[in-house]
Amino acid sequence: MKWFPGFGFQRRKRELQEEIDAHLQMAIADRVARGEAEETARRAAAREFGNIPLVQDVTRDMWGQGGLEQLGRDIRYALRQLRKSPGFTIAATAMLTVAICANSTVFSWIDGTMLRPIPGARDTGDLVTLQRGERNFSPTPPFSYLDYRDLREQNHTFAGMLAYHNDWIALTGGAQPERVYIANVSAYFFDVLGIKPALGRFFLPEEETRRGAVPEVILSSSLWKTRYAADPAIVGKSIEVSRHPLTVIGVAPEGFIGAAPGLRDDLWVTLDPLGNDGWRMSHRDSDWLILIGRLRPGVSRGQAAQDLDTQMHHIVVAYPDQHLGDNRITLDPMWRSPFGVNGLMSATLPILLAFAALVLLLTCANVATLTLVRFVSRRRELAIRQSLGANRMQLVRQMVMEGALLSIVAGAVALLLTLWTSKSFGWFFPATSNPLVLNGTMDHEVVIGIVLFSLLSGMLCGALPAWRSSHAPAVEVLKAESASISGGSRNRKLLSGLVVAQIALSLPLLLCSGLFLRTLKNLAGANPGFEQDHILTASVGLSIAGYSRDETMVIRHKILDRVSALPGVKVASLTNWIPMTLIQKKSDAYPEGYAPRPHESLQVLMVDVSPRYFESLHIPVLEGREFTPDDKDKAPMVVIVDQTAAQHYWPGQDPLGKRLRVVGDGPLFTVVGVVRNSTHTFVNESPEPIVYRSIFQEGGVETTVQVETEGNPVDLAPAVENAIHSIDTRLPVFDVRPMRESTQMASTFAVLQSTLAGMFALIGLVLAVTGIYGVVAYRTQMRTHEIGIRMALGASRVDVLRLVLVQGLWLTGIGLALGLAFALGLTRFIARLLYGIGANDPVTVASVVMLLGAMSLLACYLPAHRAMRRNPVTAIREL
Amino acid sequence: MSEKDQYKNRIELLQGTLDMLILQTLQWGPQHGYGIVQALRLRSGDVLQVETGSLYPALHRLERQGWVQSEWKQSESKQRARYYRITARGKKQLASDLGRWERIVEAIGSVMYVKPEESES
Repeated sequence: MKWFPGFGFQRRKRELQEEIDAHLQMAIADRVARGEAEETARRAAAREFGNIPLVQDVTRDMWGQGGLEQLGRDIRYALRQLRKSPGFTIAATAMLTVAICANSTVFSWIDGTMLRPIPGARDTGDLVTLQRGERNFSPTPPFSYLDYRDLREQNHTFAGMLAYHNDWIALTGGAQPERVYIANVSAYFFDVLGIKPALGRFFLPEEETRRGAVPEVILSSSLWKTRYAADPAIVGKSIEVSRHPLTVIGVAPEGFIGAAPGLRDDLWVTLDPLGNDGWRMSHRDSDWLILIGRLRPGVSRGQAAQDLDTQMHHIVVAYPDQHLGDNRITLDPMWRSPFGVNGLMSATLPILLAFAALVLLLTCANVATLTLVRFVSRRRELAIRQSLGANRMQLVRQMVMEGALLSIVAGAVALLLTLWTSKSFGWFFPATSNPLVLNGTMDHEVVIGIVLFSLLSGMLCGALPAWRSSHAPAVEVLKAESASISGGSRNRKLLSGLVVAQIALSLPLLLCSGLFLRTLKNLAGANPGFEQDHILTASVGLSIAGYSRDETMVIRHKILDRVSALPGVKVASLTNWIPMTLIQKKSDAYPEGYAPRPHESLQVLMVDVSPRYFESLHIPVLEGREFTPDDKDKAPMVVIVDQTAAQHYWPGQDPLGKRLRVVGDGPLFTVVGVVRNSTHTFVNESPEPIVYRSIFQEGGVETTVQVETEGNPVDLAPAVENAIHSIDTRLPVFDVRPMRESTQMASTFAVLQSTLAGMFALIGLVLAVTGIYGVVAYRTQMRTHEIGIRMALGASRVDVLRLVLVQGLWLTGIGLALGLAFALGLTRFIARLLYGIGANDPVTVASVVMLLGAMSLLACYLPAHRAMRRNPVTAIREL
Repeated sequence: MSEKDQYKNRIELLQGTLDMLILQTLQWGPQHGYGIVQALRLRSGDVLQVETGSLYPALHRLERQGWVQSEWKQSESKQRARYYRITARGKKQLASDLGRWERIVEAIGSVMYVKPEESES
């Protein structure tokens, strides 16, 4: 046992030994001088001196707060005490480990997503993201290029402002095209974020608009490593993107994956690298850029928002026709940025962390109960130490040290576990067509978090009982009979309080998990308004692989023909969007003759679909018709709307034949059909208007084949892929999977919430029940003698049962009442995460109260039953 | 029970008086632990028997408070022993302890030696 073996301490220890030896030698010498035999004198002197180790121990206590030595001695003492009761030590450490790990795991997820929104970027706290118009959890890019330029150059509150636009594209030139996520970025993109190139250089400011030169590209570190084998001479080489040659000018540093939190960019190019997007670069009504600004030092978010609002107002006044609808600007810090995944994370993860914190409090209450029970049986030892001169501070310190040791060990184990559990976040996300990079991270912040959680729990577990015990007057304790040791009334109150706290803390956990589980069940049982069970989807990268618009149209027709002809295929159709995948395709719609309210957003969901789309998804056409193969390029432009859109734009009128524009000065589309509402993003969304265009009239960039199958959709996947490749082997086909799998994305967060809340609630239930069992059993044992006497005097077994049960039930009752008040106050924080169930749903409330009550009753009944069956004679003898 | 009573007596000796007795003993010259026990026993006519379990913690506490200093020396009988010497601060402390002690003795005395009729009136 060498803990902090300071030289000073060892020397003083040796000197004390020598001092005591000298004392004994002199005592023996005196006795021998008085005529005693040497052996007798030695024994007498030793007897007179007393217990040498105890004297040494108490004397060493006097050496005082010698820093490390003192700490070392406290640790040794605490370890000795803990080793004496291994059952307690193991149980307490295990419980604390689980509780700390629950906290650190959720915290590592927050750390990996919300706290590190842009890995590699400098001072992300100064970055804000801009929204225009109605606030939305997943908005489409809100700004046009020219508006961005004006805002960037005219604001007074930003040190820099960047813009980007994400898209899929294919790396061609290899044997098989590879789909990658690309970002068009503005000048200063990397400067605003504070990123330095690992190789080569980043874009120059003047390259933002410079055309005609050889287009340039920057590679992400991971793409450089996986596809180009980390070629050190990559800068200056040419790669093929969408069949266009691009020159690599630089490689981004390791870890940097772009400006959208949680999404991974593979390549960066300038805003208009090929010079063929002049329309996007020159029209103020073409919103395609996401903006992030870095605040000037000392500027608050509110000031910046006001500044931008003023600038935006000037723009709207100058170009009113390109800025119909809502133009107010709001700013969000990156941790809750709606672009990327953090908007969703920030709605869920803090709540889960709060649950984990409840679990930690609950565990501390439980461990404190155990500690207190243990200290009661050690009060004699503590009183003796106190009477020998140990001051109260020392006793408190030693007891706090026990709690601290337990939580340090628990924290260390939790740290190791978190290395693994932090990576479990990714499991919750199903296969998706988004380039999601989501996981917890285990960095110094998480480690600091674990240290804080451990310290907190150590204080709660050790300090509470220590504070309690240090107040016990030593003499009283020494005099006291064992019976009264058990039941000092203050002790009893603290124990009861801890039991009540445990029940009161576990009830909200149970209630929330109950509500989340019912929500999950409701979500799974909800009808999304479309068929998703016998549908296979496969995406084809037509335009990303560089096919022209005309080629794309031809290939789309061919795909539809070949896939429809496959055996086992009922209906085949095309779309550019799959519902309930967290992807939203939005565009402004300008219905003819419709006067928007002030600040009304004109954005609607707008997707491109082929004939028989509604048939394959079983979405009924209520009025008019579906698209036909004739709704193509040269034919009149047509759209189909859903009920929400029809009622919104043409209330009380027949929507058929009405017309709308998609671009302010673009062509007019005529409504030819109305379809029933269906779910777009979340089951619990409020209905949003959707407008369907014909995929053969719109050359949108994405094409997804959607097949209704007779049997299991997975079985048809190879045949569909082959059919597409039979048109052109170089066609990139990806994300081939049953629709059911894709739409799981919509309930990901419900699954996450109910899984974690369920686990936490289970831990809470076990802790609360073992807590009340422990206290009732302990008290009953202490009263064995009294119960024996009562039975000897004629109390029946039922009387004994009642005696023990009543006190347990009192505690349970008070705990349930407090917990219910607490829980009902808390559920409103999760109300917006629920579906199909109220935050105070009486059935759920009643069932969790009954569950907890019943478990507590059982926990009280077991010791009561044991007490009842005791033989009174042995009970009296036992003291 | 006897064990408990022993502890109780020792506590009563401890409360305040042992420190004063040790400091007083050291007034007469540096002394080692065994010497202090013997001196106290002799001076008190065998009434005060200081327990080693109280003496050594007290000595080490006094040293930490700076009221005594210690050094290793040879005794007359060639035994190497740790000698304690009272410091200036220790003397001040002793004076204040003594003053308090006298007040207590006086106070207790005036309670204990009151005439019966006076206490009844």
